[in-house]
Amino acid sequence: QIGFSLSQCHPFCHQTQVRPLHGSGCGQQQEAIGMETRPETFSIFRTQENDPACQSEQHLGQYYTVPPSHFHTVFPHGLPPRYQQQVKTFNEGCVMVRQPALELISHLKRADYSKPTLRYLLYGVKGSGKTMSLCHTVHYCSTQGWLVLHIPDAHLWVKNCKELLPSSYHASRFDQPIQASNWLRNFRTTNEHFLSKIKLRQRYVWTKRESTEEGRPLGELVDMGVSRVKSSSDVVGAVLKELRLQAGGTEGGFRLAVAVDGVNGLWGRTTLKKEDKSPVAPEELTLVHNLRKMINNDWCGGAVIATLSQTGSLYAPSSAYLPQELLGEEGFDSMDPFVPVPVSLYSEKEFESCYLYYLDHIHFHHWLQHPHSQTEEGKKELIFLSNRNPSVLERLCAFL
Amino acid sequence: MAASLTGLLKPWTPRVLLVRWSRYNPYYLEPEPRKEVYHIPETELTPEQKEERELKSVRPIKAATNSVTSSVFNDPVLSKFVNMMMKDGDKIIAKGIITQTLENMKRKQVEKYHKAPEGKKAEIECNPYAIFHQALENCKPVIGLASIQKGGKFYQVPIPLTDNRRRFLAMKWMITECRDNKHRRTLMYEKLSQELLAAFSKEGNVVKRKHELHKMAESNRAYAHYRWW
Repeated sequence: QIGFSLSQCHPFCHQTQVRPLHGSGCGQQQEAIGMETRPETFSIFRTQENDPACQSEQHLGQYYTVPPSHFHTVFPHGLPPRYQQQVKTFNEGCVMVRQPALELISHLKRADYSKPTLRYLLYGVKGSGKTMSLCHTVHYCSTQGWLVLHIPDAHLWVKNCKELLPSSYHASRFDQPIQASNWLRNFRTTNEHFLSKIKLRQRYVWTKRESTEEGRPLGELVDMGVSRVKSSSDVVGAVLKELRLQAGGTEGGFRLAVAVDGVNGLWGRTTLKKEDKSPVAPEELTLVHNLRKMINNDWCGGAVIATLSQTGSLYAPSSAYLPQELLGEEGFDSMDPFVPVPVSLYSEKEFESCYLYYLDHIHFHHWLQHPHSQTEEGKKELIFLSNRNPSVLERLCAFL
Repeated sequence: MAASLTGLLKPWTPRVLLVRWSRYNPYYLEPEPRKEVYHIPETELTPEQKEERELKSVRPIKAATNSVTSSVFNDPVLSKFVNMMMKDGDKIIAKGIITQTLENMKRKQVEKYHKAPEGKKAEIECNPYAIFHQALENCKPVIGLASIQKGGKFYQVPIPLTDNRRRFLAMKWMITECRDNKHRRTLMYEKLSQELLAAFSKEGNVVKRKHELHKMAESNRAYAHYRWW
């Protein structure tokens, strides 16, 4: 039961009591501290349960705070840009507990990790909360001690690349040094504690004079990739291979979560061109080639969680959101079989919760400042204008 | 009116022009966008309102323009500002800039609120609409100058300004200041939010321009009697 006790003081969460707000007949109650319990409908929009593993259906629709100490290690990249701005303004990162994320987490809890990896695909209309659900799952994985491989947006690897070097390892492939080294840097921040524990099982030769021996820690490889930008794409390939081999291992085994946002970018077209102006196919990029091997379910001891995204996608119509449309033939065949997880727009309860969060003025001077937005009329208008779409609602409330 | 325009038509001018005349037959009535008017039950209508309703059921009504809304968030001053910012009829871009400006101002103020010590928190205004209106008030000149010809020379004579003129001048100065006098690479919403926040605390170039106009009017007091209205 989420109790009405005043004395529960979670170390990370400032709120100490439950404020029932949503009495029928009264507009919005703005009192800061008050313990008026009304016997009619009340809604609570925050929960003290900050550990994703312990969240369950009773927490649906409520916001939990990501502890500030974990925030920069778990999410150096991967959060939507508007959400990052919101975190900076509110000084706290609050995520809503929603059905798709809870479903994913329950699957992850009950899966058998000696069998080949299961692939989960989050899909939904634009702005329905796929990336946020992915980030919620990533937070769960990192609190459980998994190694998280979070690719913030696969589309960034297939477009707008200033430097495209021919790969040293394979003649017909192309390297992307900047993207690879950026990703390695963020990977290092997320998984510091794993880097010294995992040892390489193979010797890698980079140039005539440089090589990384067998048995060296993974951290050395990653550092080398960050400092030597030219071979960073090959380092990424090596890292992925090592992790794939060692994930299901019984001695010092760890679980590997591969979280890819915008996975439909891996099978499609790119906007990159070779020097003779002919288009580059995604297979010809080292990063994409290695990532595709990762998404195959020929390894065990982990999970692949992917999100479809139309926003950054190339040559896809804006009304497309289903897996068949966005992945295309080739992509669907590679991802098949997968567990589809649909992400819908806010339900009434979730919308209530979001609205109350923006109206919250214990933690911060309420975000919805327009006097009319705090009335019933304003709320009805917000529902109409946003159609309960999370991102549209966020943009509306930003300037109201 | 049509008679005078046919003389200006050239062979290359399209014969059918898309122009929305604002000249309606006086028989047409104005549309009523406010929701509250339609929610009054039959019994509570005054005799004038009853008459008006009956009239509306027989007379034709003008088409409502795109800018009138029954939304609770409708702000006439803000709409006027958006129209003044608009270029080439592109209201979407102008409205987008204004919403980004409001958001930007709100974010800056909320961040300032978080950093402020407890005593000062209540003084920080976080409502971007309140800031916008107050800033515009602070930029409105009280007295203006008109160029009046007397004895072959033109004198700058101080004159009273109507409310509409004052509002127009405040908005015009704000927009021209942001367009001309800022660094080339800053985006319009950033420039506007800086200028509006400065005007809210009575600093900044627009308020300075208002003060200079007041000083000019004060210095030209001697010519005030040249005004004959």
